Amino acid sequence: MDEKAKRTRELLASFYSTDPSAGGGAGVGSAASPRKMASPDSINSPSFDPDVYMSLLVQKLNLEGLLQKHVEMAAEIKNLDTDLQMLVYENYNKFINATDTIKRMKNNIVGMEANMEQLLAKITSVQSKSDLVNTSLFEKREHIEKLHRTRNLLRKVQFIYDLPTRLAKCIKAEAYADAVRFFIGSKPIFEAYGDSSFQDCKRASEEAIDLVIKNLEAKIYSDSEPIEARAEAVVLLKQLNFPVDSLKTKLLEKLEDYLMTLQDEHKETGASALDTLETSEPSDIGKLSDTILSLKTPTGTHMVSVGEISKIIRAYLIIFPDSERRLIELIQELFTKRYGIIERRVKERMTSADILKMIRVIWEDVTLMDEVLAEAALPAFSLEAARSIIRQFISTSFSHLLLEVSEALTKSQPMPKKGSEESSLQNALEGSKKVVIQGSLDLLLEFRQLLDDNLELLAKLRDLIVDWVQEGFQGFFQKLDERFLALCGKGYIANPDSSVIDAIQVDKVQTGLVLVLAQLSVFIEQIAIPRIMEEIAASFSGGGARGYEHGPAFVPGEICRIFRSAGERFLLLYINMKTQKISILLKKRFTTPNWIKHKEPREVHMFVDLLLQELEAVGIEVRQILPQGLVRRHRHSDSTGSTNSSRSNPTREDKLTRTNTQRVRSQFLESHLAKLFEQKMEIFTKVQYTQESVISTIIKFCLKSLQEFVRLQTFNRSGFQQIQLDIEFLKNPLKEFVDDDAAIDFLLKEVIGAAHERCLDPIPLEAPILDKLISTKISKSREESQSSSLA
Amino acid sequence: MRGASTGIVYGGLKYQARCIADVKADTDHTSFLAGTLSLKEENEVHLIRLSPPGSELVCEGLFYHPNEIWDLKSCPFNPRIFSTVYTSGETYGASVWQIPELNSQSNAPQLEHLISLNEHSFKIKCVLWWPSGKHDKLISIDEGNLFLWSIDTSNKMAKVISQESVGMLHNLSSGAWDPHDRNAVAGICDSSLEFWDLRTMKKTSSIEQAHARDVDYNPKKQHLLVTAEDVSGIRLWDLRRPKCPVKELPGHAHWTWAVRHNPEYDELILSAGTDSTVNLWLAHPPGANDSMSESPVDSPKRPKDSLLNSYTDYEDSVYGLAWSTREPSVFASLSYDGRVVVESVKSYIRRK
Repeated sequence: MDEKAKRTRELLASFYSTDPSAGGGAGVGSAASPRKMASPDSINSPSFDPDVYMSLLVQKLNLEGLLQKHVEMAAEIKNLDTDLQMLVYENYNKFINATDTIKRMKNNIVGMEANMEQLLAKITSVQSKSDLVNTSLFEKREHIEKLHRTRNLLRKVQFIYDLPTRLAKCIKAEAYADAVRFFIGSKPIFEAYGDSSFQDCKRASEEAIDLVIKNLEAKIYSDSEPIEARAEAVVLLKQLNFPVDSLKTKLLEKLEDYLMTLQDEHKETGASALDTLETSEPSDIGKLSDTILSLKTPTGTHMVSVGEISKIIRAYLIIFPDSERRLIELIQELFTKRYGIIERRVKERMTSADILKMIRVIWEDVTLMDEVLAEAALPAFSLEAARSIIRQFISTSFSHLLLEVSEALTKSQPMPKKGSEESSLQNALEGSKKVVIQGSLDLLLEFRQLLDDNLELLAKLRDLIVDWVQEGFQGFFQKLDERFLALCGKGYIANPDSSVIDAIQVDKVQTGLVLVLAQLSVFIEQIAIPRIMEEIAASFSGGGARGYEHGPAFVPGEICRIFRSAGERFLLLYINMKTQKISILLKKRFTTPNWIKHKEPREVHMFVDLLLQELEAVGIEVRQILPQGLVRRHRHSDSTGSTNSSRSNPTREDKLTRTNTQRVRSQFLESHLAKLFEQKMEIFTKVQYTQESVISTIIKFCLKSLQEFVRLQTFNRSGFQQIQLDIEFLKNPLKEFVDDDAAIDFLLKEVIGAAHERCLDPIPLEAPILDKLISTKISKSREESQSSSLA
Repeated sequence: MRGASTGIVYGGLKYQARCIADVKADTDHTSFLAGTLSLKEENEVHLIRLSPPGSELVCEGLFYHPNEIWDLKSCPFNPRIFSTVYTSGETYGASVWQIPELNSQSNAPQLEHLISLNEHSFKIKCVLWWPSGKHDKLISIDEGNLFLWSIDTSNKMAKVISQESVGMLHNLSSGAWDPHDRNAVAGICDSSLEFWDLRTMKKTSSIEQAHARDVDYNPKKQHLLVTAEDVSGIRLWDLRRPKCPVKELPGHAHWTWAVRHNPEYDELILSAGTDSTVNLWLAHPPGANDSMSESPVDSPKRPKDSLLNSYTDYEDSVYGLAWSTREPSVFASLSYDGRVVVESVKSYIRRK
């Protein structure tokens, strides 16, 4: 194909092209990628390369095919040629048409100018005629307007002359609004001409308006007027430039005074309630609450007064819309004071019913007020107040309970007479038990009233109350534990500040109290806590205002743990105190005489009496407080059989349990050989909350101490014999205290063994002498007891 | 918490015994001195050495001692010198001895008697060496008096420098010499702990309401000490605030007889009791910084956590207790039946 054909094709393509870029692309022939993409034999593609096409054809087709292709192609070229010619022709045709049209337009425009000039002349004549008409009518119109103005003026003058009478009429009809409107309407005129032409008129109308103002003022002050009228009056006064603000402050002051008197009233009632509290018997709670009620709701007047206040406030709100802030302050102050009264009252002991009643009374007022003064946010405010009141109520309730418990514990303390002591410990225990459980349950009942009440205010606090109650119990029991510690003189560790006082009191602590505390701790752990837990679960579950990550505020497990360890501690403390006391006795016994120069034993030494007396006292205390061991009988008969019956103890794993392998190696004393074959003896077993366990522990400790004291001395023969005699005597009385014969036997033997070791010349007393001395002692003590019982 | 019987037992003491002491001045070996308490037989002093691998206790020397030994202290600067307090029937005495040269093959060589502290008119309770090094003074305590001796071991001379009588009522039973101050000494009276200044021989202060059996100064921190008491167990005191104890540990099921700070790790406290156990406690002495963090509510619970281990491998009351100065992780204990048990507390030291 030659160059010309190609140009033609390009032109055609650029004219009819569907793809605008194709024309340029094909012209430059450098669009590399599409050329590659399009198959080289598609003749219509923009990237058509005739050489490639040719070579392809030559490769693909044989001669015949090539010839056929040539024919086809020649035909196509011819077709394209004719198409091209036709297009050129059509375009030329269109050009001819356009030239024709332009020529015709030019001809038409030539006649237009004459028509236009004609039109201009006509419009000018119309204008001149219209001017003529206008000037001829001007004068008359002016005159009419002037007349009209005069008439209006006359009417106004007439109005102003009529104003006083009109005002008077309005006053008579009490149509103050109209009067004010009239007056204000005529005010500019008065201002302009008041000093000259309308002087009289002005004075008269001003007088009338003064009257109006006075009337309006009276209207505002009078409470009997409907609020709308009063509000309208205020608006009118304001329109008259009357100093409304002073009026407002005056009114508010009045309200304030009123509220003050109301508060005073409350205060008085509060004060008189306090008086009655003081004068009336504290036990007379029923009466007390009656007085509180009657004082709190002097029903008639009080309710009325609150209703009135609300009415007044509503009125003021309408009358003085801008006085809201002040009113809110006033009202909030009022309620703060009222809640303050309750809060003060809460500090004394009172029932939740009373609290509920008081809160309800105030809440009613609050709702009443809230209708009027929603902006004061009184419900939120009361919620806050009620919150703190109830919180305080709960905490004071708990502290009262704490006080009661410690009172119940200490009440029996200051009467150490022998006779009364018999049952005083028991009383203390029973009393304090009762106080703990009953007090807690009562508290729960009270708090439950708070929960069950359907007062809207309290319903919002429900979760909080639940939490507080739980927290309260948690804190109560923790404090109780501390109080217990303080009671038995151990408190100074927990509270180093008060150490000076507490430390002094350590010696004064009654051992019985410690025992009571031990048993009380067990009681709290085993009975009170589960019971309270049940109650709480029944009615105080939920809560959760604290957030779940903290878990419930009341953790009975923790409390139980505290009291379990406290119980053990108190029991150990009791045993320690008792053993210490006996230890001092023993120490005196062993340090005072010169054992090396001891004289031959003539009788059982009197320290055994003291020892037995101490143990007797322990027995009395223990028997009052602790339960008997259940397995007593069984164990008794069991353990008398053989010394090998080592007592089985279920809590042997406890760290307090310490096996004491009292199997002394018998290196030089033949008597000890036997021990090699004896079972290991457990002396320091875990103490149980039974009479037997405590007494036997004390006795074991004492005997162990005895052994240690003996080991520190050196004896001559008589000294050894004295010890032998004393121990021999102790054997039977001790067994009356304890069922664990084996352990006692073992320990007594140990004591004698120790004395034997520490003796320079260990020759024991002969059995007959021993028996005789013991029987003398027994008969003597029997005589003594008889004589004392006779006396 | 019961310790397995991991201790190394030395059964060489044939008689009952109360006293064991660490030979502080022996820097080459971990050795202890133990003295027997036998009324009728001839008493012995054993020099016990922990064999180098620490697996065996070897008797390095056995010496006859004429009387039963109630107190035995090793000289802190000479490994061959020690003091004893002894009784024999009605007589009593206190002496300083020297161990003879060990290379002699004699089975039971005689101890060389250096000094007799024979100015006492009451029953002697204990002899104290100043624990922190060479010091030519010695304190001896009897029931009513406190003696300060100037001793010269090479010339076998002893002279009373000063004496303070505390009166019959007080009844001294034991004491301890402040390792931080060679002029301060603590003495245990019936119901209190008294402190003297040796320069003036006057009482400086006292801790009331302490029925102590044993007292031990904190080796690292001045003013701190620990007491062992019958009733209250173990109590830690700060002498600057003697009104109330810093800390209380429950102690033992029966009496707590002895209590010792570890010489290196002063928060480790060892106690021995008549309930046939030795307890290892962890009790951090209160510093100025943690006194605030220690809330009063927590403190009663703490002692529970403080018991690290209870060694129960004894068959009678344990009266003797001594940490080794050379190997602070090792302690020796002596029960009344004459058994010496050496235990290692290494695992508890590492735990911190």
